Amino acid sequence: MTVLPARRRSTPSWRRLTALLAASVLLAAAGCGGGDDEPSGGASQAADCRPTGGPVKLTYWTWAPGIVEAAKVWNQKNPDIQVAVEETPQGNNGTYPKMFNALKAGQAPDLGQVEFDSLPNFRVQQGLRDISKCAGVADAGPKFVDWTWKQATFDGEGVFAIPQDTGPMAMYYRKDLFAKAGIAVPKTWDEYAAAAAKLHAADPSVTITHFPQKDVNWFAGLVWQAGGRWFSNSEGGWKVDLADENSRKVAAYWQNLISKGQVANLQGFSEAWNNAVNTGKVATWISAVWGIGTLRDAGPKTVGQWAVAPMPQWTAGEQKAGNWGGSTTAVLAGSKYPAEAAKFALWLNTDPEALAITNTEGGLYPATKEGQASLPGLSKPVPFFGEQKVFDEFKAASEQVDPNFTWGPTMEQTYAHLRDGFGAALGGKGTLEEALTKATQDSVKDLEQQAIPVQK
Amino acid sequence: MTTTTAPIPAAARRRGSAPSTRAAWGFLTPFLVGFAVFYLVPIGYVIYKSLYGVRRSSTFGPIQEVFVGLANYRSALGDGDFVRGIGRIALFGFVQVPVMLLIALVLALLLDSARIRFTRFFRLAFFVPYAVPGAIAAIMWGFLYAPSLSPFNQLTRPLGADPDLLSADVILWSIANLVTWTYAGYNMLIMYSALQAIPADLYEAARIDGASDLQIAWRIKVPIIAPAVVLTAVFSIIGTLQLFTEPQVMATVSTAISSSYTPTIAAYAQISAQNYGLGAAMSVIITVATVVLSVVFFRLTRKRVEG
Repeated sequence: MTVLPARRRSTPSWRRLTALLAASVLLAAAGCGGGDDEPSGGASQAADCRPTGGPVKLTYWTWAPGIVEAAKVWNQKNPDIQVAVEETPQGNNGTYPKMFNALKAGQAPDLGQVEFDSLPNFRVQQGLRDISKCAGVADAGPKFVDWTWKQATFDGEGVFAIPQDTGPMAMYYRKDLFAKAGIAVPKTWDEYAAAAAKLHAADPSVTITHFPQKDVNWFAGLVWQAGGRWFSNSEGGWKVDLADENSRKVAAYWQNLISKGQVANLQGFSEAWNNAVNTGKVATWISAVWGIGTLRDAGPKTVGQWAVAPMPQWTAGEQKAGNWGGSTTAVLAGSKYPAEAAKFALWLNTDPEALAITNTEGGLYPATKEGQASLPGLSKPVPFFGEQKVFDEFKAASEQVDPNFTWGPTMEQTYAHLRDGFGAALGGKGTLEEALTKATQDSVKDLEQQAIPVQK
Repeated sequence: MTTTTAPIPAAARRRGSAPSTRAAWGFLTPFLVGFAVFYLVPIGYVIYKSLYGVRRSSTFGPIQEVFVGLANYRSALGDGDFVRGIGRIALFGFVQVPVMLLIALVLALLLDSARIRFTRFFRLAFFVPYAVPGAIAAIMWGFLYAPSLSPFNQLTRPLGADPDLLSADVILWSIANLVTWTYAGYNMLIMYSALQAIPADLYEAARIDGASDLQIAWRIKVPIIAPAVVLTAVFSIIGTLQLFTEPQVMATVSTAISSSYTPTIAAYAQISAQNYGLGAAMSVIITVATVVLSVVFFRLTRKRVEG
């Protein structure tokens, strides 16, 4: 009844089996060696972007709500170019790894939703098709908010995606909590810190906001506003500096609030945070335009008590905003129908009817200037904010976003390094500034591991 | 050397068994094909990948896959965070596995003792946590741990204690608790099955010799089921080195879980970042460590167990 395996025997048949297995392993290795053709995008393919002529069926992986409804309208109008939308999980939660695997296997969809911060990664991994020669694409630039077009074109080396939505940032705040504590709406970060102290002193269970360790792109939005430059890319390779002067300024500012216990240690979008919003334990949230829906869902008991004001400024009188999030519609390398795919991507993100659908059905905030100015859904007062016309604030913010912020080519790894460092700082080990420094070093290592040229 | 008799029976035996050998291979082939395709080929592919890296001429230039020898292994073992992850898991295993197995053993012995009623109910009750998927269990415990939501904290707060079971100092043991909760019942069932197979006359004989229940448990039951305990220990060692789901899910509520908290999480992060070579090398290192630890543990315990 012993459960242990019988003592090892070394009979001829066992040896034969081993040899067989070894051979199959070698075979497998050899077989896979030849099959590693990378999908090659880039300049060589850019020359030809002719429509195929016949009826075409495109696949599109996206998680943005409202796209399915928009595609239905397109499909009715374009019987020859049918788009099949496949709804996937948010990019870093599964779709990007799946896209990269599909690209490797030569089975990627024609179109994919790619967020701005992941575009350089897809570009570096040869995952995007240059569509600059496709009809109408090159001329579309001026329609889009400047920084979005810059990111999709990598400063004019082609066009690799069509901007879809953006996330200009502003400050959501609780009118009632501010009034109760006798605090005016802070216009600068100094006033914001003073408000944090005052709120916390009046009621220790209330904090001005939370510091979300995991939402590194939130922090990046703050750095973006402050004029930090994390990555830049030139002939000599990538320059990485997450700890430049402006980034350190932002880090030191929040470290101070963390050390004093004046911001809550909560993860964004968590049950605990929802609970804090709903029970009035956090008084502000510096967040993007899409945060409207998030707040509404998190705090049903707080209807009418929120308002939106511009982000606090580093210098009084300035008008600068950060950006958090936003996506593009990219034509992935290997698509057989780039002309048709680009045509659909342009329609989806510039046509007034399409923009209206994605805005009303999915709450997407368009990346086109005209869309931001004229969409009917964006001029209405919002009941959750006591009938404030909040989109006006975000439209103003959108124009104040610095166009020169660049994302790195291994952004998900950089986020991970920062998450680790931020987590340690929140746990009292190290500071946010140290996290920035270490993440710079680790990101350089990541680039080197991938043989991406680095400028030191 | 000059014997003439010895080879003949051997040859005869071999000749006699030839058809049955062929039949055996016939039956084995489907299994071996599946085993090779779904098991050995992927393993071979991982080993192959771990020896390759990428080169590119410029930032946005085409990618070339090149043989880099053991460079990925050097990078993995030179990565302080990865190595610390291994250390963390070792510490976890040294504490959690013995505690869990002791609980499982005690539960098994209790269920096996004739004095416990509702054996079936308890057997099921202890086993049910194992039926809860790891991710769900982690989400559930995440709620129980989070200070602002936890019912424990609501009880302890009036007493002046507001522990944060998700903080960096204790999260490892919070995960250990979750893993123990999940797997103690499963291991208990293996030990309990082994106990059921012990013939009852052994106990009768022991009782006639004047042994107490405790003595029977300690002197007869435990030594006989020792091989089963060893088996559960090996399963647990393997499981510990592959710890992934629980910390990964816990990371959504805790700030203390880094992207290289366990070696498998670190390898997963590299693969997600299209860093296939390094991720593959990390996977191979985890596999080798698992095999080595399991074999060493078997060797150490076999002498004791088999006498």
